Amino acid sequence: MPPMIEQSFMKALFHGVIAEDMIFPYPELPSDDRENTAMILDSVRRYFAANVDAAKIDREHAIPPEVMDGLKSLGLFGLQIPTDHDGIGLSASAYARVMQEVGGLDGSIAVTLGAHQSIGLKGILLFGTPEQKRKYLPKLATGEWTAAFALTEPSAGSDAAAIKTRAELSADGSHYVLNGAKIWITNGGFADVFTVFARTSSMEEGAKPKITAFIVERGMGVKNGPNEHKLGIRGSSTTELFFDDVKVPKENVLGEVGRGFKVAMEVLNSGRLGLASGSLGMCEVLLKLALERVNERRAFGRAIGEFGLIKDKVSAMLAQTYALESMTYLTAGIVDGKVSDYSLESAICKVFGSETLWYVVNDTLQIAAGIGYMQDYPYERMMRDARINLIFEGTNEILRCFIALSGMQGPGKALSDVVKAMREPIKGFGLLSDFAVRKARSVLGRERLTRAHPLLSREAVIFEEFTGELASNTELVLRKHGKEIAEMQFTQKRIAEMSIDLFAIASCIARTTRAIERRGEEGARREIDLTSIFTTAAQKRLRQNVHDFSRNDDELRKAVASRAYTDRAYPFDIV
Amino acid sequence: MKILVPLKRVADPDNANKVKIPAAGDKIETTGLEWKPNPFDEYALEAALRLTENGQTPKVRAGEVVVVTFGPKETEQTLRAALATGADRAIRIDTTDDKLDGDLVARALAALIEKEKPDVVVMGKQAVDGDSNQVGQILAELLDWPMATFAATIKEEAGALVVSREVDGGVATMRVKLPAIVTVDLRIVAPTSVYSTKTAATFKYNDGVRFAALPAIMAAKKKLLVEIKLADLAADQALKVEYKAFQAPPARKAGIKVKDVTELVTRLKNEAKVL
Repeated sequence: MPPMIEQSFMKALFHGVIAEDMIFPYPELPSDDRENTAMILDSVRRYFAANVDAAKIDREHAIPPEVMDGLKSLGLFGLQIPTDHDGIGLSASAYARVMQEVGGLDGSIAVTLGAHQSIGLKGILLFGTPEQKRKYLPKLATGEWTAAFALTEPSAGSDAAAIKTRAELSADGSHYVLNGAKIWITNGGFADVFTVFARTSSMEEGAKPKITAFIVERGMGVKNGPNEHKLGIRGSSTTELFFDDVKVPKENVLGEVGRGFKVAMEVLNSGRLGLASGSLGMCEVLLKLALERVNERRAFGRAIGEFGLIKDKVSAMLAQTYALESMTYLTAGIVDGKVSDYSLESAICKVFGSETLWYVVNDTLQIAAGIGYMQDYPYERMMRDARINLIFEGTNEILRCFIALSGMQGPGKALSDVVKAMREPIKGFGLLSDFAVRKARSVLGRERLTRAHPLLSREAVIFEEFTGELASNTELVLRKHGKEIAEMQFTQKRIAEMSIDLFAIASCIARTTRAIERRGEEGARREIDLTSIFTTAAQKRLRQNVHDFSRNDDELRKAVASRAYTDRAYPFDIV
Repeated sequence: MKILVPLKRVADPDNANKVKIPAAGDKIETTGLEWKPNPFDEYALEAALRLTENGQTPKVRAGEVVVVTFGPKETEQTLRAALATGADRAIRIDTTDDKLDGDLVARALAALIEKEKPDVVVMGKQAVDGDSNQVGQILAELLDWPMATFAATIKEEAGALVVSREVDGGVATMRVKLPAIVTVDLRIVAPTSVYSTKTAATFKYNDGVRFAALPAIMAAKKKLLVEIKLADLAADQALKVEYKAFQAPPARKAGIKVKDVTELVTRLKNEAKVL
């Protein structure tokens, strides 16, 4: 079956194939790793309790230098760097768990640590030569040096191909000369080592720009602007970077010349998973705040927790957070299982994680009501800190397009192969018959999720049903629009939303199945109930999205938007 | 100086409401409990580390700290955490919690001490689960060693320790010759509580116990942790303390509101019988 070449659970799902062996049994930390992680978390909690004042960091727009030093000597700067290079050598799952903890304790520190190791030095870990690793990783692991990731430019954000920073090879071929500027670079004010993306082909060459990644040291001539004033994560440093004839030895090319785009994508895949775990940590802390508040605050002679509308919020937040936790550690487990393609899963984690957090912070603030709005309490700071997650490392809008288009690539290719095969019926017979078998299966009986526990059969059936819908609608829109699908963002959004909900349901089912197998129905009551609540809510969204493929007002919306662009303002006034 | 520190894990005191007693009342249900090192034992470890270093350079160990615990395999996590914090070596005496009492623990420790020959045993004054407060004292008796209990400060001298404990209205200070048993109270982790002969008298520690940096946690994996059978230390495993029954404290009754002072006084007199 040709479409099964996919090495990704979600990519296979776009073909209608449920590759359940990739998600069952739900992964867990090996006992050795669990013990280490428990000790690490204990140290992190003790350190933060004694030394970190999140409100003060926010108020003073800075992480105090002694706290930075403390975090470094604790070892938090080298979490995933292998022990051979003086790091801690954590697995992706253990790293996610530690970042979850830090995310809940302080947003500014979480973002600073994430910019350093989730993305800043990740390129060296993934693509560095042995020499580059030897030179940079040990100092980055101890925090003696810190790292930053420099991709975004004034006219190139999500559109990395529009990068203007130039890298020109010197006449003798010994080094590159970098010229240009980067914006919104986290850790830009103090980082010593930058992963910089620059164009190694001229701007005029047309459609195919060549982007190359470089390891650039501050001492090579990198300058930065002042710290930006931000809505949230105010203790983190965000600056512009300037490259004015910065000479970078050719040994500092990261990966291959002209393959920088691949470096950026791989780094961001892993970075997005880090954001999801940080978001999860904040959700956890917010839930604790909310659950304290509903017991304390009284109205009409009762604790507000007794009211239905509060219970509605609390149960929904729990279910959503459970889904987020389930997909985050499923994806981390997939990474640790050495599955190389987790781009779709980690993009889903980032979108779902940041939006779950936004929803949880909003409802927790609403439950806190008056005090939620006051600066003396942590809610408003957490809301401001949370907001960035929907924006950086790929906006959630661009990631929805990415999820849809990247997921549809496989089926699109399969379709064009079938078209080719039909032109050469004899040569293409095998391909056609495989395709027919798969087609028949998705039409006659759907793909089954056989490893779900029978107690979750309602959820499994919903998952199977909408997996069928995802695959058939993918095929439908591909047949209908062909290459034009790249421009159909309303459709992409529907496809993306469906994939996000399906991955969340699958994660909940896999994890809850493990819980039932371990602890029985009563022991896994909480997991079973949250899976049920989440899946019911997701089912409504899935139905709506399926419905909207054929019946929608997309064209009207586009027309209204275009007219407003001409009006340049809200067009009415009652006066 | 070589110091032995016995450690015990206890059910997380912050989650005391998770402790359940089955209807039969014959035991405490321990499944599903979260475990933590007994806080007084953590203080004892901190005191032992302070006694085997120059406070200015805590990464350089001067002397040896050996930690020991009694329990099943899972209790090794308590030992690993101690190794990560700075202890040099660990011993787990294989047994289960419900087959121990203070006397048996002390006898097994005495046998272990014959082999290990530490200069000092530093231990928590008691475990916060059973609150027996026995082992240190029995151990000193069995070994015929001097003991200092409820230590609030320890200062090392050549061949001796000067130990003070807080008593009603003041501080009692004594000097014990080594080898000795010292049990510690919570004040022992204050900034100026413990001084080895290497630490300058002007030095101040951070308040509380130290915690492990991440590289030390990973490195602790390589430190020696050996298992000894309880039978190899104590042939006679008979218990002297027998628990007859366990009972949860009665649930608190709701309070009442009184309308005036007269009613309050009447009720205090007639119902509460405190006046």
